[in-house]
Amino acid sequence: MWRKQLRTPLSTFIRKTLPQSISPQLLEENITQLQNQPNSSNPCSFNTNAQTRVSRNPRIHLICNSEFLGKSSGFCSSGSPEETRSCWSCKSQGAFLICQSCGSVQPVDHSVDYFTIFGLERKFDIEVGSLEGKYKDWQKKLHPDLVHTKSEEEREYAAEQSARVIDAYTTLRKPLLRAIYIMRLEGVEVDEEQTVSEPELLGEIMEIREAVEEAMDSKSLNQIQSQMEEKLRHWYDLFANAFTSKEYDDALKAIQRMTYYHRVKEEIVKKL
Amino acid sequence: MLRHATKRILGFGLAETRSTAPAVTRIPRRFYHERVVDHYNNPRNVGAFDKNDPTVGTGLVGAPACGDVMKLQIKVDEETGKITDACFKTFGCGSAIASSSVATEWVKGKQMEEVLTIKNTEIAKHLSLPPVKLHCSMLAEDAIKAAVKDYEAKRGKSLETKAAEA
Repeated sequence: MWRKQLRTPLSTFIRKTLPQSISPQLLEENITQLQNQPNSSNPCSFNTNAQTRVSRNPRIHLICNSEFLGKSSGFCSSGSPEETRSCWSCKSQGAFLICQSCGSVQPVDHSVDYFTIFGLERKFDIEVGSLEGKYKDWQKKLHPDLVHTKSEEEREYAAEQSARVIDAYTTLRKPLLRAIYIMRLEGVEVDEEQTVSEPELLGEIMEIREAVEEAMDSKSLNQIQSQMEEKLRHWYDLFANAFTSKEYDDALKAIQRMTYYHRVKEEIVKKL
Repeated sequence: MLRHATKRILGFGLAETRSTAPAVTRIPRRFYHERVVDHYNNPRNVGAFDKNDPTVGTGLVGAPACGDVMKLQIKVDEETGKITDACFKTFGCGSAIASSSVATEWVKGKQMEEVLTIKNTEIAKHLSLPPVKLHCSMLAEDAIKAAVKDYEAKRGKSLETKAAEA
């Protein structure tokens, strides 16, 4: 299921860019892992990532690349390549979250981003329906309850991996969280301390919040809620467009709006 | 009804403070967040002035990262430039509400230039805000400045029209 036909251009490119010290077998595994993505239609981004990643990691056993990338948050900002790891238990290549050969759970690699875990392209419009299935598949393999009989080390790995998959699932499922995450991967953080003074936006939010406060029945609350959902849909689209065209300022503004509308929704839910 | 409204607005905040403040009684000892809880139990200056009143300055600020909005209004005596009254309306966490409440208390009776020197660190210290909530006090400081700026802009406009009419 995981092995796919190698695409010649990608494999040739990687062969050329990788340093000579890496064994051919390692190369094959690396390429195969990169080809794992069922939805991957963007070999270019994978190429650059593979280049940046693997060229600095001639050693097979190097686990975490976050120091290399200089990101304290541990998120890999340059892409989502599969790392070339050897299984700690059976030493075979190509272990991604769990070893294909022996089934041992691998330690968490923080440079693998959430989109990679779910085999998705790094973009905002993803197939949310497919998330649940993949999530359950992963949990069937990684859940700590399944590794009772194994070593303590492996049980720890299972707990961490399983927790990470859960984080990935919850982040990718919610559009707002997904938006913030995908911006973070690009290196753009939402500033917690920032204050804004846009009269139109704030005035609008004030009015809506006041309306929620004054609403006496669930009918009017539901009305406001559906208004919020409509606005959210509109801003999700705006965000997606801004993000793909790399207009990060507009994308941030969209996130701000989405945050505000989400807060209103939360308040409504509380009141209902 | 106003109290009910404020209790709903502040309802958010109590959940946060409950876990940290060991006692909600009025013992004047140094409890964490005692003043924040006090501002919740005794909300002061919640309300709104007429935005179009020429003696009113309205400051509307928001913190997009947490989805807070804060409106702070001041009523200024034209002759003396002194702030005679202030009110606020904040949608956000307990710290944000307490910060804006403290801000309205502090600006009353002061000169406009004087209130511009109110720093968020003073508000935060007064309320013993934890580091994660410092941006709430920042929001209050920005709200004061925005209110003053709005009043001056209005005053500037009205002086212009008066001069044009003369």
